Amino acid sequence: MKTRAIITIIFLGLGLIIAAVPQNTTHPYKLTADELLEESYSHQQYYSPDEVADLLVNKDPSIQLIDLRSPNEYDKFHLPGAINIPLQDILSDEWRDYIDQDVKINIFYSNGSLYANKAWMITRQLGFENNYVLEGGLNYWVETIMNPLPPASTSPDEELAKYDFRKGANMALGGQAAVTQTDDEGTPTQKPEIKRKPKKQRVQGGC
Amino acid sequence: MAPLVTYEVISQNTNLFLAFIIGIGFGWVLESSGFSSSRKLAGVFYGYDAVVLKVFFTAAVTAMIGLLFFSLFGWINLDLVYINPTYLTSAILGGVIMGLGFIMGGFCPGTSFCAASIGKIDAMVFMIGLFLGIFIFAEGYPVWEGIYKANFLGTPKLSESLGLSDGILAFLIIVAAAIMFWIAEWAEKKFPQPEY
Repeated sequence: MKTRAIITIIFLGLGLIIAAVPQNTTHPYKLTADELLEESYSHQQYYSPDEVADLLVNKDPSIQLIDLRSPNEYDKFHLPGAINIPLQDILSDEWRDYIDQDVKINIFYSNGSLYANKAWMITRQLGFENNYVLEGGLNYWVETIMNPLPPASTSPDEELAKYDFRKGANMALGGQAAVTQTDDEGTPTQKPEIKRKPKKQRVQGGC
Repeated sequence: MAPLVTYEVISQNTNLFLAFIIGIGFGWVLESSGFSSSRKLAGVFYGYDAVVLKVFFTAAVTAMIGLLFFSLFGWINLDLVYINPTYLTSAILGGVIMGLGFIMGGFCPGTSFCAASIGKIDAMVFMIGLFLGIFIFAEGYPVWEGIYKANFLGTPKLSESLGLSDGILAFLIIVAAAIMFWIAEWAEKKFPQPEY
């Protein structure tokens, strides 16, 4: 009987402790400062305009472009298929399902890459996967895809192939220039694997 | 970092293997606590033996305290722990059917396997009934699908429904368990069953 009394008291004590301490609500998959630095330094969050153009031309259903600029700017011009989430609304409940998911590859962009990087850092720190940044933003997009500069005639083949691809992509995406499209072997685009977020597993229980 | 399999610390197969080991341990504890006697389980309903109640409630309280402390230390992410979804109608109906089965059969599904493995014939008969029930449920699923899925509440937690923090609810449950054990032991003295 005595041991039982002791065990009961221990359990009650533990219960009191757990009742008194605040609940642990931190996201355990939050990155440390070091990890975040490592990730941003290795540039693994970037999608180059060529990669994005390739995905768009191929009508890849797995990507979702997200325009972080104001609705005004979005109305004037946006990339095909992009949705508008102004940066200040990135944490609102309305867009939560778009930002925190494991089905599509989100690619953030704004005029430069500053906004997109901010959005990427915030979402990454929250532990959300599958958010990426369009390298160089719209400015670089315009420079490379919409108005590609013809390379010098002495350029290596890859450069010429890249130029042809960009012209072709621009045309396919509704651009103005009409050029004969050549095969785009020069742009090997790697599609990153979609990282799956840990999902709730069904466990069997009961007596 | 747990849940181990969700964070891919261990593989699905290792997980199953661990479940196998824990299952053997569970069966061993059930057997050694005397749960393979159908009178033990029936005793809960008649008041002469509250071991079943005490063992399962102690297990629940221990697991609850453990999970909450693990979460506090950051060892487990409780957001990723599976919560059984609540279908209110089928939970009540199932509870009644299970309860009746407990009293009449003297086993719960786990203990029936325990008892069958040490050669108890009543447990084997109970298991036949168990599989019969599974068969009828599965074959007749279209008939009771409507009832089965009625009153779906999602995955509510008791603490959330009551608006309490997990810790305070845990403390209240421990207090309730202590009181319940005390009452159960009083009942054991009140309704003694000399030989069973």
